[in-house]
This record gives sequence, structure tokens and C-alpha cells, in this order.
Amino acid sequence: MSSLVTEVMAGAISGGTCIMYAAIGESFSESAGVVNLGTEGSMLVGALAGYAVTAEAGNPWVGLIGAAVGGGMMAAIHAWFVLTRKSNQLATGLVVVFLGLGLTSLYGAAYVSRTVNSFTVWNIPGLSKIPFIGEVFFQHDPLTYLSYLLVPAAWWVLYRSRWGMLIRGAGERSEVLETYGHPALRVQFIAVILGGMLAGIGGAQLSTAYANSWFENMTQGRGFIACAVVIFAARQPLKVAAGAYLFGAALALSPALQARNVDIPVLNNQFALASIPYLAIIVVLVALGRKRAAQVPEGLKAVFG
Amino acid sequence: MTTATFAPAKTEVHPAIIAIGRWVAAIFGALVIFGVLMWTKGANPIDAYSSMFESLTRDTALSGIVVKATPLILAALAVAVPARAGLVNVGGEGQLIIGGVAAAWVARLSDGAWPGTMTLVLMAVAAACGGAIWAGIAGLLRVKVGINEAVTTLLLNYVALNVMFFLIYDPWKDVKGGGQPTSAALPVAERLPLLSLGKATVHAGILLAVVATGVIWWVLRSTRWGFKLQVVGGNAEAARRSGFKVAVLLASAMAVGGALAGLGGFTQLAGAEFKLRPGFLASYGYIAFLASWLARHKPIQVAVAALVLAAISISGDSLQLDSQLPAATVNVLMALVLLAVFGWTAKKEGVR
Repeated sequence: MSSLVTEVMAGAISGGTCIMYAAIGESFSESAGVVNLGTEGSMLVGALAGYAVTAEAGNPWVGLIGAAVGGGMMAAIHAWFVLTRKSNQLATGLVVVFLGLGLTSLYGAAYVSRTVNSFTVWNIPGLSKIPFIGEVFFQHDPLTYLSYLLVPAAWWVLYRSRWGMLIRGAGERSEVLETYGHPALRVQFIAVILGGMLAGIGGAQLSTAYANSWFENMTQGRGFIACAVVIFAARQPLKVAAGAYLFGAALALSPALQARNVDIPVLNNQFALASIPYLAIIVVLVALGRKRAAQVPEGLKAVFG
Repeated sequence: MTTATFAPAKTEVHPAIIAIGRWVAAIFGALVIFGVLMWTKGANPIDAYSSMFESLTRDTALSGIVVKATPLILAALAVAVPARAGLVNVGGEGQLIIGGVAAAWVARLSDGAWPGTMTLVLMAVAAACGGAIWAGIAGLLRVKVGINEAVTTLLLNYVALNVMFFLIYDPWKDVKGGGQPTSAALPVAERLPLLSLGKATVHAGILLAVVATGVIWWVLRSTRWGFKLQVVGGNAEAARRSGFKVAVLLASAMAVGGALAGLGGFTQLAGAEFKLRPGFLASYGYIAFLASWLARHKPIQVAVAALVLAAISISGDSLQLDSQLPAATVNVLMALVLLAVFGWTAKKEGVR
């Protein structure tokens, strides 16, 4: 049984990392007062860009740059329509997702059955030998280790740095920022695009480290889940990470149980198991719902109604 | 003097002409960008566009468009009604599927033994109820717990898909289906009758879609409920102070929307496909969402937009056949058209 726990927890980390990147990115965007459902599109484009650039360049780190650029470009489209043209945030985000779906099927067909030189698991010397903890945390790909550093870094930037103060100020009271001579719009643009770049990196983690493949619509709503995670985590990086790992755990449960031929009603069906992550997020949102509603930045209250 | 003669001439251009001009420019811009994208994949944009256009002039095209538009219109209305109250229903995908599942469930219960018309009516009712419940969950979570309905409807889409997969891969699997994961085909008596539309033959579902469009247009325009939805959408706080039951209005708007999408699932099952299969109505919910936003949630315009997107989507099949581009490529064109409309046609009116 302990091996099941270890397996699910290790799976939570490896399956949740891509969502964590996207959700940290979305935390920047939402802190600046922009909801970006297009995070799903940024992830999808990032997943393909990461995979395709890795295939052409032969190096997944180069692919990672491609993924960040691709994800950032999708977010830039969202930012321009939402911030400059004042179009509806939720609807524009969805259109960006649809655009990403179409673009990735147009350019992705050539990469569907290609294998690439992807990120490999790198056991951290020493740390990976620690019983349980080593297995859960230190037997992953390099992007997962980077994400461990991303969480405190994002927290520091958002809540301790001048930059974070500007971002949160733009989300709460952009007119105050303007009064003090800071261009709120530019801050919002940067936050949204940075968010898209992180979502793109999350997509690359999915395609070039976790799944080692590319197929159409491979993100399967992970970007939407990232947005939901950000809501219940109230944009706090540590809670965002916990939420992302919760989804990862729900995802890891299915193969772990199937491998053991567990014969419990519902849990022995792959489609019931596949629904668990989505339902789990809704349940968490319900459990934390009322408290969180009050914590949305001023700039987002109009969007969330 | 010269400026004085020029200035009035400029203001004489009718605003409607400017608006139409902007629309034409927006759509032209989208077509140019899409052409460039096709060109980067080695397709000749001029050939691709002409074969897309040509495919729409074939005799079979009209019935294809109308059949495709039927569930799209219903699912687009499912976006438009909640949008009146300021809600964003992105759950068309799941509500369509649940509608189809509920209809298939009634057909299973009947097992060919009930009179065909009665079964069809019960299927439609079950589909509407199924869709209403599915959307109603998101509506209730919104008003009771304060969770944004866009997020829950999106997540529930994936759950609905898995519900259908579960059914067609196991308990409802057609034993005579040659191992394919589909439900059993509806008996002929439980299928929607066919109509002829000039040279084209379509199923009667389109009548349902047209009637629904008219009813929703009337309801939103002339009933108390429609008026209240509009007020809530405009200013929920003002509506609350006027003593409207905002929670009931929001939840009912979602449920009515879901019922419409559920009916869309019914028309597809009973009119076009006759059985559930893994790709049942895939991406129809999202296209319907685009249609409603394209037409700013005005029912009749929404139905027209759904018809136009159905035509674009049907013409997109020629991209696959003639230009060897993936079928989903046409989604790019639809997204670009909508972005163009968001970006260039409505800043002053404020796109909601």
C-alpha cells in the first residue's frame, strides 16, 4: 500500500507540474486584473512549439524557448483585445483557445508520430536516495526541479518586489498607478504575456518531459484547470502549487489503480477515473467558494460578476 | 474654406455604412491572415478559397449546412439566453452531449416497443431536462457558492464527455456494432422525419431550431422574465435593490440555456447520427459559443451567425480534400473572424 501512496504522490508531482507552470502564470495575469482562459491555448501552442522546436533543433532546452515564445504570443493576442480593445475577458480567452486548437492542428500534424530528444528523468545525486521523499520529489525531469524554484520566486516577485506591487496595483486600482505616473496598461500587458510564457513552458513540460509526444488537443483542459486552481488558491504561489499537485494526484490515481487491478465499483472504470480531476477541482472550489469570492482583485470583480 | 467644404461631406456618411464597412474590412482581414497561414503550409490560398466557395455551391452543400446548423443554432441560443443576464455559458459541449445521452436513454427504455412519435417527444423532453440539469449545476454553484459559471461549465464539459464514453464503451455498447464503441442505432420509427428544402433533404430538427429561435426572441423581448434578465445583466445590484430574485433569475437563465443545448443533442441523435459515438457533436459547443458572441446574443442574429459558421465549417471540409490540410484548420478561420469582429467593429458599443 505504501508503494501506492508513493506512486500517486510522485505522479502528482510529475502530472501536476505543467498545470503549476500555467497556474503560476495565470496568477500574474489575474493579479494584474486580467482573467486569461486563453491559458489553455497558450499551453497547447507551447506544447507544440516546444515539441516541434525540440524536433528541429535536437535540444529540448531550445524547444523550451520556442514554447515560451509561442505561449507568450497567444497571451499577447489576448492582452491586446482585452486591454486595448476592451473586449470581454472570458469570451476572448475562449476564442484564443479555439485559435490555438486550430493553429496546433494545422502545424502539429507533421509532428504527431515523431519522436524527439526530450527531457529525461535525472535523479538528483544523494537526495533521490532518501526513502519516500527521494522517490516522490527527486526522481523527475529538470523542468520539475525548476518549478520547485519557480514557486518561491513567483511569491517573492508578486508579494515582495516592486514589480509585484505594480502588478497587484494595476489589478486593484489602475487609476492610482496612473496617478503616480506608472503606465498601468503596460504593467498589465507584461503580466499577461509573462503568464502566457509560463503557460507555454507548462505545455512544453507536458509534451517534451511528461508525455514525450505530441497529439491534437493534448492539454485536455489542463489550462482551464489552471485557471480554476488560481481562483481557489487566490493567486498565492504556494497554494497554487498545492492545487496543481492535487490535480496531478487525481490524474495519477487512474493508472496506479489500474495497474493493481483494484476492483472497487466506479474506481475500476477508466472513464469514471478520468472524470475525477475535473470533479475534484469543482469540489474544492465549492468547499472554498464563499471565502474566495471576496478576495478577487477589484479589477476582476466586473469579470467574475 | 476648403476644410469647411470637406468637413460636412465627411459626416454625411451614414453610420450603418461605416459599420458595414468595418465588418467587411474585419472579415477580409481575417481571410487574408488565414490565407497566409495556409500558404505557409504549402497550400495555394486562392485555390483553397475557390474550392471552399465551390464546395458551397454543390447540390449537397445546402443540406449539409442546414443539418450542421441545427444543433449549432440551439447550442448558440443556449449561450445567448444566459448572456442576457451577464452569464458566460461555455458548457454547450457538455450540455449537447448530455442531451444526446438523455435522448438515447429514452430510446433504450422504449426498445422499439413504444409508438415512434411518443418516443420522439419523450426523447426531446428528456434531452431538454438533461441539458437543463447539467447547466443548472453550474447555475446553482454560481448563485449558491459564488463560483464563476465559465469555469464550472468548462470543467463539466470534460465530465460529460467521460459520462458518454463510459456508456458507449460499456453498458450501452452496441453488441452488433463490430466492436465499435457506439450505442445501438435508433429504429426508423424513432428518427426525425425528413423534409425537402428545394433540392436538399434535411431532418425536421431544423424546424425545432427555427421555432426555438422565434420563441426565445419573443421571450427575451416581450416577457417579464426576459426583461428581468436584461436588467440583471445590465446591473445586478440595481436589480437586487428593485426586489428581483437575482439568484432565481440567474439559475433559471442557465437552466433554460442548458435545455436548449440539450434539445440540440436530441436533434443530432434523432435526426442525423442515430447513435452516440466518441466524436458525437465534438467542438459544436465551442462553435456555438462563437456564434452567439459574433451576434452579440440577439436570438435571430445568433441563428444566422450559427448558419454562417456552419457554412464555413462545411466549406472547410474541402480544405482537407483539396488542399490536404487537417480538418480542424477551419477553426483558425472561425477564431480569426471572431477576433476581427471583437477588435474592429465594436469598441464604442462595448463588446460584452
